[in-house]
Amino acid sequence: MRTRFNRFSGAAAAAVVVAIFALTSIYTTGQATRTPRAADGKPNLNGIWQVTNTANWDLLPHTIRPAVAQPGVYANHPVLAAPVLALGAAGLVPPGPGVVEGDQIPYKPEAAAQKKENAEHWLDRDPEVRCYMPGIPRAMYMPYPFQITQSTNKIQMVFAYANASRTIYLDAAPAVPADLWMGRSTGHWEGNTLVVDVAHFNDRTWFSRSGDFHSDALHVVERFTPITPDALRYEVTIEDPNVFTRPWKMKMVLYRQLDDNAALMDYRCLELVEETFLGHTRKEPLVKHWEGETIMLDVTRRIPPGDKRYER
Amino acid sequence: MNTRARFLTWLVPLTAATIVAAALDGGTAAGQGSGQAAAARSASRSPRTAWGTPDLQGIWSNNILVPLERPREFGTRAVMTREEHAKALAELQARNQRPGRDSREVGGKPAIGTEKDVARAYNEFWFGDKPTQLGMRTSMITDPADGRIPPFTPEAAKRIADKREYLAALLQGTSGGRPGPISPRRAEPSTDYNLDRMNRADGPEDRGGPERCFGGELPVVMGTGTFGGVMQLVQAPDSVSIYYDVGQGSGFAWVIPITNRPHLSKNVQLYRGDAIGHWEGDTLVVDVTNFSDETNFHGSRANLHLIQRFKRVDANTLSVEFTAEDPTTWTRPWTAVQELQKSDDKTTLVLEGGCHEGNYGLLGMLLNTRAADQAFREGKGPDPATQDNATGGGDN
Repeated sequence: MRTRFNRFSGAAAAAVVVAIFALTSIYTTGQATRTPRAADGKPNLNGIWQVTNTANWDLLPHTIRPAVAQPGVYANHPVLAAPVLALGAAGLVPPGPGVVEGDQIPYKPEAAAQKKENAEHWLDRDPEVRCYMPGIPRAMYMPYPFQITQSTNKIQMVFAYANASRTIYLDAAPAVPADLWMGRSTGHWEGNTLVVDVAHFNDRTWFSRSGDFHSDALHVVERFTPITPDALRYEVTIEDPNVFTRPWKMKMVLYRQLDDNAALMDYRCLELVEETFLGHTRKEPLVKHWEGETIMLDVTRRIPPGDKRYER
Repeated sequence: MNTRARFLTWLVPLTAATIVAAALDGGTAAGQGSGQAAAARSASRSPRTAWGTPDLQGIWSNNILVPLERPREFGTRAVMTREEHAKALAELQARNQRPGRDSREVGGKPAIGTEKDVARAYNEFWFGDKPTQLGMRTSMITDPADGRIPPFTPEAAKRIADKREYLAALLQGTSGGRPGPISPRRAEPSTDYNLDRMNRADGPEDRGGPERCFGGELPVVMGTGTFGGVMQLVQAPDSVSIYYDVGQGSGFAWVIPITNRPHLSKNVQLYRGDAIGHWEGDTLVVDVTNFSDETNFHGSRANLHLIQRFKRVDANTLSVEFTAEDPTTWTRPWTAVQELQKSDDKTTLVLEGGCHEGNYGLLGMLLNTRAADQAFREGKGPDPATQDNATGGGDN
């Protein structure tokens, strides 16, 4: 720095220094600055994480398809149906190679029928659509971020979606007075792997938008293993003798958000789902065609002027 | 919790803050050891985390009653005398012995089955565990010197008076309102983003914030007794994660990043704001901005600016301070301090909220009102506009 300048140029120089500093400074949450180990020598899981897969839509291998479908011209090529018709390309299920080991969920026969029916009534039944707590493991692979706060005796995970959260108890297993949406998690370290046992669930959560469900006998074992400082292998074993013929496994990767301005912002769906689920109770309904508790949709899609040129 | 959530969804918006306010009614509640005295206790005794920062972790609750605002009789005295404390404690104990809500009457008759009884919703069972300890401090508020929330700005006073008049208009001509014809203002939207209990249920927006499971506003002022709430704090070098089990099932998670990133863009409004924490010596200082108009902290809406300070005073005490600032609401900032006590965090499970998941009450209130509308149209019931479904709670 120069040591002699008048007030004006001094202020200008200071402004330039500030500007340069602002451009080059790394925020302390800047995820690149993180150490791979926590103070107690365990892998450092702190940060904001998110999957990049499509498990929340469908756990099994699947191709692109309408989120809500109606029969099209060809039996195996359904087209977008009213609730998502106007959404076009935004109303489609993204394709995915699947996250289930062996590409099969071992439903008991009656449970398989239930899953199929659930999928057909997805919008009416999926607790996600209602902004309910997603349960475990679904919370881990919803397409929204979550933050891990890792201490030595507890690990807290807070999910953007619906402000859901979970505590993983590492040194205790407090008694559970009632079934829980998110279950009770107890964990321990096996080398570099965090192993979490989750039980005491209610039977209200799902695994995906494709109708995969469980009973209150659900027992989940999760394994979190760092594969790089910014990626975790996430393996889940699902056990529920009321619904499945045997335990089954999912496997996927969780990625750390590396953006300088990464922030966990609540996906506050609470009040935004009121119109969907309470709209029929309004004195003056905003949706004009209610039949009892059924929304009768008139989907309006105006053809853009640009397109019209080519339709003459 | 499901069980609690089902009850929650009735009409009484009993948040921790209102419990504290209720404790003020008698003008006898008081406080614990002074903030200064607490700060003077040796900080060296306070535990440290494995990475060297003060350890704020644990499950914390407020077992000692201190009113938010100071009863005027104490003037600028922050701590009461032993005699005053003995007298106030005796009054608190006497109040705890009084017959509760179930025995209350309306107009000299048992309340059961009346409009007010329906709106009141909770019976005495839900008020079972009353605060029994009384602090020496005369108020949580430490600044200004009179221990009271500063006056509203003229702008805020008008905004709040306008809303109060609107709420009064909706009650006009009912058993709980002033005399007069049914007000044409029933057809008007609320003067603000409504969070109050108003005498109309045309849609979900007409119901109070707690009835819609909004709950859990910042800053949390912990109450005492059954509805007092607990908080669980888990700490890492780059974040502090708090779960507040408050407001009867309106529990919520609050993650405070320890970071030097700037606040989010001013255009971004969040129900619980944008929190950024940093350490000042042994104190975790959290700056919270970017609130939305969907919260109402003593009259402050989207322009609230909070500075919270968390400090471990000793092994069993966590001092939680907030300074609330909003030049569009108050004539000056104000500060309050709570001292929370530690619970056993190995046997205590802090329960998930579940208010929204069990909120059949909101649906029920709206459906019932539609049924009442229909009955009126068919000549089978009174005009719902003439009924009071708003004032039954609290001490009525």
